[in-house]
Amino acid sequence: MRTTTPLLDLRGITKVYPLGKTSVHALRGVDLTIERGEIVAVMGPSGSGKSTLMHILGALDTPTGGVALLDGQPLHELSEHQLATLRGRKVGFVFQTFNLIPTLSAQRNVELPMIFLGVPKRKRAARARELLIKVGLADRVHHRPNELSGGERQRVAIARALANDPEIILADEPTGNLDSETGATILALLKSLSTADGKTVVLVTHDPDAARIADRIVRMRDGRVIEEMSHGS
Amino acid sequence: MVRDFMALAGSSILHRRVRSWLTVIGVFIGITAVVALISIGLGLERTVSDEVAKVFGVDTFLLAPQRMSDAGRSNGLAQYTLDLEWLRTVDGVATAAAVRQRTAFVEGQAGPDGRVTQGFLPVLGLSPELITSFPSFIGPLELEPGGRLFGEDETLVAVLGRDVATRLHVEVGQTIVIAGDGDKPELTLTVIGIVAPSAEPSQQGFASGVSPSGDTIYVPYDTMDLLWGPANDVLTTLVRTEPGRDVDEVAARVQLELRARGSEVAAVTSSDISSAIGTVTSTVSAFLAGIAGISLLVGGVGVMNTMYTSVLERTKEIGIMKAVGAKNSHILSIFLIESGLMGLVGGIVGTLLGVGVSSLASAVIGRIFDVRVAVVVSPSLIVATLAGAFALGAVAGLWPAWRAAKLPVVDALRYE
Repeated sequence: MRTTTPLLDLRGITKVYPLGKTSVHALRGVDLTIERGEIVAVMGPSGSGKSTLMHILGALDTPTGGVALLDGQPLHELSEHQLATLRGRKVGFVFQTFNLIPTLSAQRNVELPMIFLGVPKRKRAARARELLIKVGLADRVHHRPNELSGGERQRVAIARALANDPEIILADEPTGNLDSETGATILALLKSLSTADGKTVVLVTHDPDAARIADRIVRMRDGRVIEEMSHGS
Repeated sequence: MVRDFMALAGSSILHRRVRSWLTVIGVFIGITAVVALISIGLGLERTVSDEVAKVFGVDTFLLAPQRMSDAGRSNGLAQYTLDLEWLRTVDGVATAAAVRQRTAFVEGQAGPDGRVTQGFLPVLGLSPELITSFPSFIGPLELEPGGRLFGEDETLVAVLGRDVATRLHVEVGQTIVIAGDGDKPELTLTVIGIVAPSAEPSQQGFASGVSPSGDTIYVPYDTMDLLWGPANDVLTTLVRTEPGRDVDEVAARVQLELRARGSEVAAVTSSDISSAIGTVTSTVSAFLAGIAGISLLVGGVGVMNTMYTSVLERTKEIGIMKAVGAKNSHILSIFLIESGLMGLVGGIVGTLLGVGVSSLASAVIGRIFDVRVAVVVSPSLIVATLAGAFALGAVAGLWPAWRAAKLPVVDALRYE
């Protein structure tokens, strides 16, 4: 279901990091629009600014200049508190290193975003189990991350990203730490999130195979978007 | 949500089990010391006030010299004038008993060499009521076999300490002569008892500086009257009020009226003594607890150190939680609960150990001083200690928790 307002709209985004007496220009005026339900792959060499871009898309960081709109809402106008709520409700993250809490079971890791939104215990436990079943981990519910394989950990991370039924999934090198076979399974799972569930997926990756599942590929270099290419879905 | 945060904090504590326990040990050593010292202090206070009440009775008060430097002096002790017969007629007074003391010229029996021993010796005049009505005050006055204490209406009798009896060459049934300056210049008194050496002098429970020794000659209070006239050499007086009377009211009235009659006395009730002793023991307890508090402070610094390390170690975790929607206040709460829980566990263990240590110490003190020392476990102390331990942990964790909460998400996520 498409509306006139894009889900993500970046206009002239710059990001400058101070580094001692100098500064690093990570983004140098990025314009990017992402529609609902799209799978967009952001590609580029290391240091091209793709991770910084993902942080701004996911309201983890604020731009130095320009305007970032998430669902029409200018992110720079939001307080830290509101940004946290927005992340909890609208964005799900999948990281290269999985970023699960090592002391918590798979189920508790999936419950975590729901805890911060105040979802009642019973409801969130049911939702966490449902999501773990969905990603094929029905028999791994009570395992801790160190008892799971890399692919299983990434599935838990995907289940966690889906916990609060967000509109957008931001995946930063989701297959970077996985063998190709496991990586392919994870990519298929991410693809199904868009095709079956209508989620918007932004994939930051080096991997051309990963980019193949995208509707659109955005190439970056030196903090700028140098090419946008539609695959068609 | 607090329960969820407690669960998160708890799982983190359990995950770092050894370090958490070491931190908890730091806290509970301090708590143990504070609880034990306060409990021992309270126990001693209770014991002292119980002992005072036992010896003194809640219906009894004491007439002490108003100021120790006042009135007449004998052997360095403050003495005062007293009309004991009048005191017994005061409204509300049931019984009154007093102790007088003089140094008198005493003559004994002839020794083996045929010479009669004589000299100046301390003479204590005791009201027979001291023995009959205030036995716990005078203590167990153990006499040598064949002797007895004097009763009421007896005057020409004496009880001697073992040393003086030996020196005067007298035994029970023989007589001594005491020179006075009243109506009769001297009196011949029959020795009716000799205090067993083992009972001298610590067994006697005299208060107010009366410290009998083996040299003391005990005579009835009335005998002192016969020898020296109206009492101006009273060391101490005990007054028991009539049942149902307000002891403080009677004591105040007696003090007022006696002062009007020229007796420089101060009425002291058991509650006065208890509160005076209580002030001292409370001060000592507070001082010791203050010292113990320093170790508690060290425990708090331990919690702070652990939490600081924990925040550093878990920087990435903090970033993850923030990325999935945790607000700064959530992170702050989780870390505060974590440090507070360590404080609380330290508090629980410390309180239990503190109660154990104070019980043990009470038993040891009781054995050393041959008294039954009360073990006081005050519920308010326990509640205050547990709340304080949680607060200590939370306060110690405040700065690390605040640091954790303020970490920028992206920096935290990048932390390795």
